[in-house]
Amino acid sequence: MSNLINRRKFVTGTALSAAGILMSDRVLGMHHAGETSDASVTESVASKYNLMKDVMKYRKLDSHVHAHLFDGGPEGNIAFADRLGIDKMFVSLPAYHGVGTPQEFRSFNDLMLKCMKQYPDRLIGQFTANAIYQKESIEEIKRCVDLGMVGLKVYTQLKINDPLFYPIIEKMIDLKMIIHMHAYTQLGLGGYRMKYDTGIRPNTSIPEDFVNIAKRYPEAMFQYAHIGGGGDWEYACKSFVHYPNIYVDTSGSNNPENMIDSAMKLLGEDRLFFGSDNCYYQSVGKILASNLTENQKKKVFFDNYNEILKKSGRNVD
Amino acid sequence: MLIDINAYVGNWPFQQLKYNTCEALYERMNKFGVDVSVISNLNGIFYKNTQSANEELYKEIRSNRRFKDRFIPYAVINPIYAGWQDDLETCIKTYGFKGVRLYPRYHDYEILDPACIELVKRVRDYGLPVAFNYRMVDSRERSWMDISNMKGNAIREWNLKNILPIVNAVPDAKYMILNFANAAKLDTEEMNLVKKSDLLFDTSGRTITNMSDFLNLYGSDKFAFGTHSPILDYLTGLLRIESLHSNEADENTKEMLRSGNAKKMLGF
Repeated sequence: MSNLINRRKFVTGTALSAAGILMSDRVLGMHHAGETSDASVTESVASKYNLMKDVMKYRKLDSHVHAHLFDGGPEGNIAFADRLGIDKMFVSLPAYHGVGTPQEFRSFNDLMLKCMKQYPDRLIGQFTANAIYQKESIEEIKRCVDLGMVGLKVYTQLKINDPLFYPIIEKMIDLKMIIHMHAYTQLGLGGYRMKYDTGIRPNTSIPEDFVNIAKRYPEAMFQYAHIGGGGDWEYACKSFVHYPNIYVDTSGSNNPENMIDSAMKLLGEDRLFFGSDNCYYQSVGKILASNLTENQKKKVFFDNYNEILKKSGRNVD
Repeated sequence: MLIDINAYVGNWPFQQLKYNTCEALYERMNKFGVDVSVISNLNGIFYKNTQSANEELYKEIRSNRRFKDRFIPYAVINPIYAGWQDDLETCIKTYGFKGVRLYPRYHDYEILDPACIELVKRVRDYGLPVAFNYRMVDSRERSWMDISNMKGNAIREWNLKNILPIVNAVPDAKYMILNFANAAKLDTEEMNLVKKSDLLFDTSGRTITNMSDFLNLYGSDKFAFGTHSPILDYLTGLLRIESLHSNEADENTKEMLRSGNAKKMLGF
């Protein structure tokens, strides 16, 4: 990166450094009577950090991303995948709008299948369903799996621990595939300061719902969506400490400085998946800025989700 | 060269922060190649008498000779609190601070309060920038003790339309508008105001989902690198710049985003 300057350039080259570290008193204006500047600053500034090299160093599987939802068709997904070195995206289109009738969820899955055909080496669909329609959902899951989709993505039609979900979860256990559920926690939601009304859909799954279903089905795998999605990520991660079949993806538009380190500390290095939820810059930036080790970053960006895929034989080479 | 126009030291009362001292931020800057950071003291958002926070910042920067070369201190001033005029003068003339950050929602005044307008004019007359924020934290994950953002409550996160009235009221001041959040569709008059004003957005905010689109919309002279550290991660604001393709921003444009636009506003 050209913004990173070596010592010689810093001292002799730029207008700023030509004034030398005189910048400190003359430009920055801090008043330090009788003090001189510390020349060693010029050395410490000369970091060789290259962000884009760091970005491209890690293979990435995006475990939470949508097409035809926020920002158009799959061309936009691929453009950002190329920009940020994302190998494959697991795209979904849950029933974000509407009631999620069988006709609707089949059409959403068809759209994802179309995306897969358009970019067969880059996009893999996560199928959606609606457990209110159990028979149709089971049939749809079989159809989608046969066509190469992997993993269930569901929204707010039902809570994850609703008994209507049980047959669907049992089907997913048979398939050895993960159940990826939209989720949220914030003031006013669930047991968290109920007096606030924030207008969240009443059937939104909260951490307590995940814990409830994870205890009932310890052999199932659950993906708590987007800890960076605006909800209280600390609350969620603390809720899941003792439930190893609950995984979280790090997607969402929020990128608090300590989120990744804190989630790793609470959940360990096997239960975090890289995801964007189409917030591409934050999704990569917050992991690279974390204090994770090289191996932990590799696991979060790629290996952890691939281990889930491996259980159903759908892993990426 | 990299200049971060949106960084802080100090505490956020509702959440533990990392890297929130000059020493920790200095190390962060060295690790990731940031040469200079514009900083203020977060404590000034919460102290009734903001000058106490400015004094803390002044002392912290003076505590190590290395700091004064790398940090550009900004004062936090509350224009509806007694003695702010003296505080402003002390910060600029005695402490050498180089700008002011204002927090109308936290300090509970309207952006067009006559005292706010007077403060902006005084800072303008010093030739220095004033900074406003869209928000400090995402209100969805805020503490129950933070400013409210519930349905029907007047105190909501801001968008650009909430900030432009002060730009319109004092059009010849220099503005930094930080942590771009909550998209707002501007009308022609509002967009013209943005474009003709001496105004910079930083690159830390969540609404900037595609940097190239924002450069096309507002102009590449309107953005500068910013982190919103230590509240947001240290690299996302930089990634928005560095991942631009050459057909979206050539090397000269990137250099303006990394430091050129900031230097111009900071008066380097």
